[in-house]
Amino acid sequence: MNPILRIFLERAAVYLGAALLAFVCGFPLFWMALTSVKPDREIITATPSFWTGAAHLDAYRRLFDQTKFETYFVNSVLVAGGSTLLTIAVAVLAAYGITRFRFRGRESIATVMLFTYMFAPIMIVIPFYIMMRKLGLANSHLGLMLSYTSFSLPFSMWLLRSFFQSIPIELEQAAMIDGASRPQAVVRVVVPMALPGVIAVSIFTFIVAWNDYLFARVLIGKDDLKTLPLGIQDLYESSVTDWGMIMAAGVVITIPALAFFAMVQRHLIAGWGAGGVKG
Amino acid sequence: MATTNRSSPLGPLDLPRPEPRERRVPEHLWGYVLVAPAVLLVLGLILYPVGYSFWLSLHSKHAYMPIETFIGFENFVWIWEDEDFWRSIRLGMVYAFGSLSLQIVVGVGAALLLNQSFVGRGFVRALALFPYMMPTIVVVILMRWIFNDSYGVAKFLIEGSGLMARAPVFFDPDHVMLTMILASTWTFFPFVVIGVLARLQTIDLELYAAAKVDGAGVLRQFWHVTLPQIRGVLFVIVLLRFMFMFTKFDLIWLFAGAGGLGYFVRTLPIYTFVKSFGELQVGFGAALSVIMFTMLSAFAVVYFRLFRRDEHA
Repeated sequence: MNPILRIFLERAAVYLGAALLAFVCGFPLFWMALTSVKPDREIITATPSFWTGAAHLDAYRRLFDQTKFETYFVNSVLVAGGSTLLTIAVAVLAAYGITRFRFRGRESIATVMLFTYMFAPIMIVIPFYIMMRKLGLANSHLGLMLSYTSFSLPFSMWLLRSFFQSIPIELEQAAMIDGASRPQAVVRVVVPMALPGVIAVSIFTFIVAWNDYLFARVLIGKDDLKTLPLGIQDLYESSVTDWGMIMAAGVVITIPALAFFAMVQRHLIAGWGAGGVKG
Repeated sequence: MATTNRSSPLGPLDLPRPEPRERRVPEHLWGYVLVAPAVLLVLGLILYPVGYSFWLSLHSKHAYMPIETFIGFENFVWIWEDEDFWRSIRLGMVYAFGSLSLQIVVGVGAALLLNQSFVGRGFVRALALFPYMMPTIVVVILMRWIFNDSYGVAKFLIEGSGLMARAPVFFDPDHVMLTMILASTWTFFPFVVIGVLARLQTIDLELYAAAKVDGAGVLRQFWHVTLPQIRGVLFVIVLLRFMFMFTKFDLIWLFAGAGGLGYFVRTLPIYTFVKSFGELQVGFGAALSVIMFTMLSAFAVVYFRLFRRDEHA
């Protein structure tokens, strides 16, 4: 084959593939956003149009005025934020303990952490529910936060451990010689140096909590305590589907994920290597 | 000296060192103190429930009422004779293997593509990872809308492009599994892309140059250079993704629900949930989750054995 033609065909194939990939991944997102701003008569039609001249935000207004979406949203932010903070605190302590002190059982802790990968949420949700009821934590956000924290902990410790291991202990000692106490040295020297790890851990925890449906379904019965996945599902099933409003809800829920995604991109690969993504 | 005015921001350097403070807790105990919260949480909220599951599986227990009787392995005997259980295994295998193979094909293809250089690569890369970041509930409502039987854009595109005269009804007993596999592939294939792409970027380009000198075309380069290099990461991806897909609950449940269409995608996790929280037979449900756990462990062991043997051959 003519080498110039060959190169041309190769390039064409690459761009065709890229266009196809972009379409498959991007079109559903575009369609969701478009549906959320279309007038109803353009939604309920067998010949949908791929643009609209009459875009408006009525669907968003309905979502916030006529449903408890705002409550669900606030609940999700609280639960996901709380789980993230709790995970960071517990995981930083543990990772620091494992990397800076020698004690018996240190290695087996790491092994057990890996072992928990064998457990999917569906396998422990039954006993978990019974326990939470006994503890009086059913129908509480604390119960949810505890479950998300314990699920993200193994990965978080695993990742932070590798970050802490790479930070020379001399840096802390130098800080302590300069008069810092040990906790100060950790907060001012170690944590900032492990920041990419801390960020990766918080993003993954946040996403676990933000997306979870199973634990929320089992633990939460009160409407005012529902998180977004529950609220949207109930909204969807409760009446004749208002597609514009449902898509508007989809857009609003996706935005935090999108924002986190913009931040995670750089750290995603590091997190992936350590097994951060689960599900 | 002329340089003494360069004092440390923390204070003058010539202060005496602080006395080492007395520790009430001996040094080696600090390790335990620091890991204690994490260990307690994982022990109490993951490992204990797993153990509790095993214990429950030997009992007949109602979800709410305090009825609890030890019945030995009877739950397992019932499960063995339960047609619905075997059906859930078959459906689960169809779903797990169907969506896994599509994810691998699409994911590896996309990773190879994104490893080429072209204008707008950064944008396409970000776009291609995004479906994975989307909350499951959003994926489900979006797919239910796109594949809607009356107003769905998929139907419009398929019929309009002449691909099929009549688009299938995506949400009927015959097609719901396929629709769900497609939706799952869409949202989960980026996991494969991330892993494979990271590995592709570390392959020594000289290997390709050498292959070209030997006259290898694109396909043979893939087969003899790329594939052996990404085998290791594919091994891990297949293992993890199979376990995730086989235990997938939320996407399936939200996609089809408990009754009606849900019956046609009632995989093992869904069946476990229905038995435990729908029919309130917690002991039976726990026995099902014990079986799930055992199957996964067995799968992991067999998979590792096969792979290791493969490696030495």
